[in-house]
Amino acid sequence: MYQRYSKIKQSHSKENKNPESQWFGEKPVTPDEKTGLVIDVFDSVADRYDLMNDLMSAGVHRLWKDQFVRQIRPRAEYTYLDVGGGTGDIAFRIRKATGAGPQITVCDLNGEMLRVGRNRATDRGWLNDFEWVVGNADSLPVPDESVDVYTIAFCLRNVTKIDDALAEAYRVLKPGGRFFCLEFSHVADPLLAKLYDAYSYRVIPKVGQIVTKDRDSYQYLVESIRKFPNQKALERRMYGAGFGRVRVKNLSFGIAAIHEGWKL
Amino acid sequence: MQENLPCESLFTPTIIHYDRPIMTHQIDPKLLDILVCPLTKVPLRYDAARQELISDQAKLAYPIRDGIPVMLVEEARTIKE
Repeated sequence: MYQRYSKIKQSHSKENKNPESQWFGEKPVTPDEKTGLVIDVFDSVADRYDLMNDLMSAGVHRLWKDQFVRQIRPRAEYTYLDVGGGTGDIAFRIRKATGAGPQITVCDLNGEMLRVGRNRATDRGWLNDFEWVVGNADSLPVPDESVDVYTIAFCLRNVTKIDDALAEAYRVLKPGGRFFCLEFSHVADPLLAKLYDAYSYRVIPKVGQIVTKDRDSYQYLVESIRKFPNQKALERRMYGAGFGRVRVKNLSFGIAAIHEGWKL
Repeated sequence: MQENLPCESLFTPTIIHYDRPIMTHQIDPKLLDILVCPLTKVPLRYDAARQELISDQAKLAYPIRDGIPVMLVEEARTIKE
């Protein structure tokens, strides 16, 4: 009994980095299991993912994404890497802001999400404006110092090894390049936090069940938000990965937040 | 006279698969410039016949599925010598 306990304790102290790798929502899992489970979640919701986001956030996620891309101040001569943006939400906003010309790569763990994104790009007449690549945020298939702007929107929460993903972002950025993360975060005001808790635990999985017939996936999404590091904690981990001039901007009282950092 | 007309090809409706890229067996040459092996971070070689991106050092072949390269070590084929 004691042996078992000390083994667990050891494995935890060894896994000081990337503590999220052992959680799938609120279920404890191994890092390998987590990656597979995350692929399954997005396989099962790919088609109706954006519709679901609209219903869950009453369309507010669109405003957050608009704000996110405004903060980047996109320019056509930059090279962009969007991680976890399979359906193209961020890539299309960047393309719209810059006009023709930028090099935009969309990298997602899930091929289904990328296919949805590529079809949408085709519908908009942007057949050759993006590169679509299946890849993992914690081991990117992208050369060192090749990217001006790295974006990750509503994805870092699902990454098995957050610190590895931050290190990879730092690696692929050119000196002077910028990192932008948009993610659900933590509401500071205790009363609002209570209201938001009630909404997310009771309403979101139910809406998920009705629209995608898949309650579990949305239950996971809600739980994964709880497990994600808060504004300060993520800021610290960005500094830990090497980023400088880290700034945090809360959206809707901290329901979501934008983290920005520079590779100096 | 009429028999010689290529009627079939003229009147058979062309099926366009909107869910597929128009040239399934062509990848964007730009891909080779912007991608590396996720394991070794070195450039890749394109095998058009097999539709794979080869990482010689790691001895891994990453599949290209439906025009989209799958750059995951778990999905790669190990190359035996």
